[in-house]
Amino acid sequence: MGTRWLVVALVLALAAPAGAQEKPLLRWGGDRNGGAPYIFEAADGKLTGFEVEFAEYLARELGRTPRFVQNQWDNLPDLLKRGDIDVVLNGYEFTKERHDDTPSTVPYYVYSLRLIVRQNEPDVFSWSDLGRQTEPKRVGVLRGSASQRYLEGRFGNKVRIEGSETVTEMLDLVQAGQVDVTVQDAPAAAYYVTPERYPGLKVVDEPAGYGYYVLLTRPDDAELREKLNAAIRKAVSSGWLKQLYQKYGLWNPAQQRLSYLAGQPWPEAAAEFATDDAGYAPPDPPKLSGILDKLLTAAAYTILLAVASFPIAMAIGLVVAVGRVYGPWPVRALFTIYVEVLRGTPLLLQLFVIFYLPSQLSKIEGWEWMSALALNKWAAAIIGLALNYSANEAENYRAGLMAVPKGQMEAALALGFTKWAALRYVILPQAFRIVIPPVTNDFIALFKDTAVCSTVMIVELTGLYYAYKVYPNLVLELALAVGLLYLLMSYPTAVLARWFERRLALTKEGGAR
Amino acid sequence: MIRVTNLVKFHGQTPILNGATLEVAKGQVAALVGPSGSGKSTLLRCVNGLEAFQEGEIAVGDALKLTGGSAPPKATLLALRRTVGMVFQQFNLFPHMTALKNVMSGPVHALGKPEAEAEVTAKALLARVGLADKHDAKPAQLSGGQQQRVAIARALAVDPAAILFDEPTSALDPKMSAEVMRVIDDLADDAALQVAMVIVTHDLAAVRRIADVVHVLGSGKVTFSGPPDEAFAPNGPAADLL
Repeated sequence: MGTRWLVVALVLALAAPAGAQEKPLLRWGGDRNGGAPYIFEAADGKLTGFEVEFAEYLARELGRTPRFVQNQWDNLPDLLKRGDIDVVLNGYEFTKERHDDTPSTVPYYVYSLRLIVRQNEPDVFSWSDLGRQTEPKRVGVLRGSASQRYLEGRFGNKVRIEGSETVTEMLDLVQAGQVDVTVQDAPAAAYYVTPERYPGLKVVDEPAGYGYYVLLTRPDDAELREKLNAAIRKAVSSGWLKQLYQKYGLWNPAQQRLSYLAGQPWPEAAAEFATDDAGYAPPDPPKLSGILDKLLTAAAYTILLAVASFPIAMAIGLVVAVGRVYGPWPVRALFTIYVEVLRGTPLLLQLFVIFYLPSQLSKIEGWEWMSALALNKWAAAIIGLALNYSANEAENYRAGLMAVPKGQMEAALALGFTKWAALRYVILPQAFRIVIPPVTNDFIALFKDTAVCSTVMIVELTGLYYAYKVYPNLVLELALAVGLLYLLMSYPTAVLARWFERRLALTKEGGAR
Repeated sequence: MIRVTNLVKFHGQTPILNGATLEVAKGQVAALVGPSGSGKSTLLRCVNGLEAFQEGEIAVGDALKLTGGSAPPKATLLALRRTVGMVFQQFNLFPHMTALKNVMSGPVHALGKPEAEAEVTAKALLARVGLADKHDAKPAQLSGGQQQRVAIARALAVDPAAILFDEPTSALDPKMSAEVMRVIDDLADDAALQVAMVIVTHDLAAVRRIADVVHVLGSGKVTFSGPPDEAFAPNGPAADLL
C-alpha cells in the first residue's frame, strides 16, 4: 500500500507544472491493477480501457486535460474527499448512502453481476444453488464492491464471503481451488473468463444484481457535477457511449436504460429499477449493532492468528538464535541469511508470496505442480506471520544469550555440565528472563500485524473494517470499535508481561541488573 | 593427582605461561602465589579445560590427559571437569536458582542423580558452609561472602577429587573474606575429606595457615615448590610478596 501512496504523491508532484498549462486538469482516480476492461495497460504499456476513453471524452467536453491517478480501488472515495482527485471513475456502483457521502453523476453504464465457477464445479450451477449448500461455499468478491453487498443481502450466512483487492487475484484463487466461486461485475467477467485467459473458469446462470456505474464527486463541486452530467447525457444521446461499449464488447440491451435515465431527474430515478430480475431488492445499509457478531468473530480471528503463530515464531527463533550463537559456521551462516532475508523484506510481501504465488505460477506450462503448494488462507497466514516474526524472535534471543555473563557458562561447564545441559538449565532460563520485554513488545506488534492477513482474505478486525468502510454511515463508529478491540487485546498482554517480568526477576529490586 | 608439565600458553603474541611445571598430590592443599599477571589464574583455568594451551601436558589422575596444541575430546573434558571442581572469583552462582538448587545443579544436571538424593547431600553441604537457613534464598538475596560459600558447597556437591579456587576472596571485603576463608580452612583441616585443593590467592596469611605446599609463579614458570615456612622465610622465594 505504501508504494501506492508513493505513486499518488509522484503523480501529484508531476501535476503541479502541468497546472501551468492553459487547460485545467481533470484528475480522475481509478485502480489499474487487475482492472481490465475498465483501466489497464495495453501490451505497449499505454493505459487503455473503456473508462480511460470515457475519461478522455469527458475531459474534452469540459475543456480540461485528463490526468489519471492510480490508487487502491476501495480507497478511491477517501482520496476524493481529501481533495487529491476531482472524480472517482472506476466502476463505482450507485448506492443511496454513497450518494449522500460523495454525490454521483448520472449513470454511464448499467452493470450486472455474474456468477463464475470452476469448469468442474460440482454443486453450483445457478445463483439459487448458493443458498442451498449444507456446507457454505466460499464466495470471492472484490472487497467493498456491489457483489459483496448483493451476496450479504441475498444469502446472508449461507455463503462465506472472501474479499480480495483485485479481480485477477480472486480469479487466480478460484482457479486454484482456494476459493469455490466468485461473483464479479459483468464487464470483468466478460473480459477475463475466456478460454485464453482463465481456461479453468466459466460463467453460469443469468446476470443478477443490476445497478449503475456512476462517477463520484465532492459534495461542494455542484458545478463540475452539472457539467459532467451534461457531457454524459450527450454521450448517451449521441450514441458515443454505445459505440464505446460495442468496441469493448460490453454493449447489451440493458444499456438502453441509460437513454431513459438520461431524461429523468437523478438520483430519484435510480429507485425505478431497484429490484433485479430475481425480484431481489438491495438491503438497507448495515448498522454497527447488526454486524456485532461479525465484529466479535473478526476479533476472535485476530486472537487466533496471533496466538497460533507466535509460539511457532518463538520456537523457530530459539533454534535460530542458539544456532547463531553456539553453532558451527555453516549453521551460523545459514541462520544469518534466514534472519536477514525475513527481517529485510516486508511481511505483506512474504504473505503475498506464500499465498498467491504458487497458484499464479501454476498457470505457467510445466509449473502446474505448484498448485499443490497453494495453501489455504489460514495456513498461509499463520505460516507467514510465524516465519516473519521468527526472525525478530531469533534476534531477541540472540541478544538475551549474549547478555548472560560468560562466567555462567564456565561455572556450568566446571560442574561437569555438557554444553547442551548448560544451555538448557543455566543460559536459556536467564536469557528468557532478559528478553521478556522485547518479546512481549513483539507479541503486541504481532497482534496488530495480523491486519495484513486481510490481504489473504481473512476477515480479521482490519479486514472487517475494510469490508464495511464502504458504508459512510458506519465508517466512524466502526473505526472506533475496531481500534478499541485492538487496545482491549493488547493492553492486558502488556500488563500480564509486566507481572511475569516482576515474578521472574533475577534481582531483589526486580529491575535492571 | 594433578601433574602439570612444561605448560606453554600465549594470548596472541603475549606469553602467559612459559614452561610451568607442578604437581599436586591426592588430598594435598596447594597454594599458587606470585605477582599479578604471573599467570596463576590462567594456569588454573587450563587445568579445568576452560582455556586451551599451546604446549605441554596436564594429567589428572591416571587416565585423563590434556595435551598442548590439540583440542581435547569432549568426553575427556567432561570427565576432567567432573573430577576437578572450580570456585570462581566472581562466584558465578546461577541467579535464577535458589541456593539449594544451585548446590543440587551439578549432581542433578551433570551427574544425573535423582533430585531427592541430591537434595539430602545439598542440605548437608549448605549446613557445612553455615547456610542451613538460606536454602530458599536466591543469589541476589545473599551477601558476597554467603554467595561464595554457596559456590563452595556447589563445587563440593559433585564429589570432586580436586577443587581449584581462583582468587575466591578477592571480590570480598575483609569480614566476608574471613568467613569464606574459615570455610576453606575447615575443608583443609578435614582429614576425612580427601579432596586436593589448589588455591590462587593474595591472602598470604591464609596460605601460611592452610597450605601443605606453596608454588611460586614468576615469568610464566614455577620458580619454587616447597613448604610455606621455606617459601616465606626471610630472603625466601616468596618473601617479596609479603
